[in-house]
Amino acid sequence: MKTATREQTGTTIIDVTGDIDMGTSPGLRKTLLESLKKTPRLVVNMREVRYVDSSGIASLVEVLKEARNKEKRLVLFGLNAAVHEVLQLTRLTKFFDIRETEEEALKA
Amino acid sequence: MSCDKGSAPERLATLPPGGPLKFRMRMASDPRLLSVVRSSVSELAAVWGFEDEQCRRITLAVDEALSNIIRHAYQNRCDQEIDLNLQAHSDCLEFSFLDHGEAADPSRFCAEPLDEIATGGRGTHLIRKIMDEVCYERLPEGNLLRLKKYLPGVKSKA
Repeated sequence: MKTATREQTGTTIIDVTGDIDMGTSPGLRKTLLESLKKTPRLVVNMREVRYVDSSGIASLVEVLKEARNKEKRLVLFGLNAAVHEVLQLTRLTKFFDIRETEEEALKA
Repeated sequence: MSCDKGSAPERLATLPPGGPLKFRMRMASDPRLLSVVRSSVSELAAVWGFEDEQCRRITLAVDEALSNIIRHAYQNRCDQEIDLNLQAHSDCLEFSFLDHGEAADPSRFCAEPLDEIATGGRGTHLIRKIMDEVCYERLPEGNLLRLKKYLPGVKSKA
């Protein structure tokens, strides 16, 4: 799993690539929480994420809770069928702000 | 994890004369091996006739079971041993996991799904949601977890 960070006015975009499992989710969690400290709005590009497990979901939940506590935004976009399914199975689809495209995520 | 590997895998229509098709892995409790197992399980489920969505779900359940063993039974130690046995029966796939770590709390395997803000417990919820049968036993030789998934149209015997 790899991440890359881009900046736009008032927004930080994190491009995530690869599988998010118990081996890689701690690194993602750390990257997202550190980025969240420096921006009012964090957008996560999941287009190149092939797989996510419950530890990855737990990391995203933790980042979302931190965003809400700090009155910031977390937006996800580009989720494939596998990632959508895990969110559905854990009943979290409505918990997250999920958009189809980067353009929609930036407007959210 | 997609089951799409380009050309469709050939469906094994009949069992070999020796009975269920068996596949065994002995792996270290190292999270870096999880992706290797996911690839194998996904391919096996596809070969055994499960559709893409079910392949992804079966793979997720197996991954969650292994992650739980590494996290809870072995307390994140990476140098311990896990035996994963897969048997492909005519009506189902059966996975068994044997580890030699701390005993699991059996109540975790029958827990109700947690609410959305919970930070843990989703792994066992996913396993129960996906698999048709989940059975945990504490044996003298270690912890044995067995998971079964029936082929579509086959009624669970649970």
